[in-house]
Amino acid sequence: MRNNLLIFIVFGSLAFLPIFASDYWTSQLSYYLIYGLFALSLSLVWGYGGILCLGQAIFFGIGAYVMAIVTKGMIAPVPDNFYIGLILAAGAASLFAGILGSFLFAGKGISGAYLAVVTLAIAMVLERLMSNWYTLGGYNGLLDIPPINLGLFGYSLELWDSRPSFYVLWSVTVVIALFLSWLVRSDFGLQLTALRTNPERLTYFGFSTLQIKLKVFCISAAIAGLAGALFVTIDGFASPTLIGFTLSTEVLIWVAIGGKEMLIAAFLGAIATRMAESWLSEIFGDYWILILGIIFMISVVLLPKGLIATPLSKLFAKRR
Amino acid sequence: MEILIPLIDASSYILVLVLIALGLMIVFGMMGVINMAHGELFMIGAYVMVLAQSYGIPFWIGVLIAPILVGALGFLIEYLLVRHIYHRPLDTILATWGLSIALKQAIVLIFGPESQSVVAPISSSFSIGEFSYPIYRLVIMILSASIIGGTFWLFLKTDFGLMARAVIARPDTASTLGINTRKMYRWSFVIGTALAGLAGALIAPTISVDPQMGLGYLVPGFLSILVGGAGPLAGVLVGGGAVGGTNSLLTVWISPVAAQIAVFILAILVIRLRPEGILGGRNAK
Repeated sequence: MRNNLLIFIVFGSLAFLPIFASDYWTSQLSYYLIYGLFALSLSLVWGYGGILCLGQAIFFGIGAYVMAIVTKGMIAPVPDNFYIGLILAAGAASLFAGILGSFLFAGKGISGAYLAVVTLAIAMVLERLMSNWYTLGGYNGLLDIPPINLGLFGYSLELWDSRPSFYVLWSVTVVIALFLSWLVRSDFGLQLTALRTNPERLTYFGFSTLQIKLKVFCISAAIAGLAGALFVTIDGFASPTLIGFTLSTEVLIWVAIGGKEMLIAAFLGAIATRMAESWLSEIFGDYWILILGIIFMISVVLLPKGLIATPLSKLFAKRR
Repeated sequence: MEILIPLIDASSYILVLVLIALGLMIVFGMMGVINMAHGELFMIGAYVMVLAQSYGIPFWIGVLIAPILVGALGFLIEYLLVRHIYHRPLDTILATWGLSIALKQAIVLIFGPESQSVVAPISSSFSIGEFSYPIYRLVIMILSASIIGGTFWLFLKTDFGLMARAVIARPDTASTLGINTRKMYRWSFVIGTALAGLAGALIAPTISVDPQMGLGYLVPGFLSILVGGAGPLAGVLVGGGAVGGTNSLLTVWISPVAAQIAVFILAILVIRLRPEGILGGRNAK
């Protein structure tokens, strides 16, 4: 209940913000929600699954490009429908994760630092590939991606305003957050804990660690893909930067600063870092990135559980 | 003659890559620390040359200063950051990544984001008949090869190397036998970073020096280590040869983009199929 209570508090207060905020801030908040969703996906695979993926933007980018291709109607037989786009984006990201995961984890498999370097290299390869794939816009990316369109059966309900699209994104994020919070406390969550702490014994008890790893990798990828798909609908622009190194780094920092082992802390980490960035980069200018790098180092060394998760878990531990 | 120049280019790239990977390897093989800031230390080595040039300090003195300065920086990094997280190897990736962001931005703040150039001390070319090649590039190759040789000598033939290898193989036993493992870690880290600074300083005249240059060498460096095998020091030669050789030959034969993509994919395949590296090794994880 502890996690759900926090989720209700956080999302409840987020829901009220657009009433007071300006149009500009509402659209910024929409971006933060998507980044938060993306952070949730990394928190699941890294904090709960124990798989350090340095290329989480691979899945975000795949989702973004698939959504762009579908809603722009670039693949003929598939209708340019918003919902189909979302499903295909999440599906494609998940499928790629499945293939990649079976290749990387099967048999002896690779893990830890090796996996980190390999996933980073894959993200760099894909960024290179997308920059040079001219059918998909190459370096310039794909422009003019339609916004969120809730219409069905031929009707069109395009959301151009920031408030309605904020609430659509908010609902999606709440559903995913509640789903993940349930997932990590289900039997599957228990298996994840076992996978993280003692994989040998898990195998001894008759569970297939490969299956569990693949499942968590695919679920996480699907959520990252969904986040990427939603991102292009509000940004209108899919570019190679969405799939590559920089975004992978950023999400890692958000999740590490927030707290990887606590979903809502990872979510808040993304929102807090982005908010701090838009405020503090005005004050500190170029020094902001330097400060962020230093905060990140301090957080890793002194508070490995995260700057947000540590106080939150203390607060809630006392009440119990 | 047409095949000769790509081959020399390939060997020159391999030697620089090995020099960078060797520093990474000492740190990774000995302490299990993945130093994501290694590329930035390499970059700082190159920026020392930019600075030396603008103050009119002779080139070769700059080359001497660069590893000392970067090594001193390495000492600070070890003391302030890495020392605290030896027991959490995966967190070293994150902490040094934060460090690399901070260092990169510090360089942007000091020198600006644009790329700088360093003038080579020797501008003439070496030529036999139709064949001609810049002498400075040949000098880099000779120097890199001797530094690589020197590092191998240090780790394979001296007392320091013997103790270092003891610490790699059996840290607890080494510590019981009176080797100060903390001190070995510290000096190995300093040597690793100094090598990165030296590599950056040497090749600064042949590339454009900019704040983003580190990453382009860091990832191939890591792939070289993992391809070659993280156990024996010689793995770095094999891995650097494989990664660097394939990369520079494919760059000539196909295109730089295709080469990079192909090399990364090949390296990932090798790492997956032979996690202990081409040479194999008992330290493979």
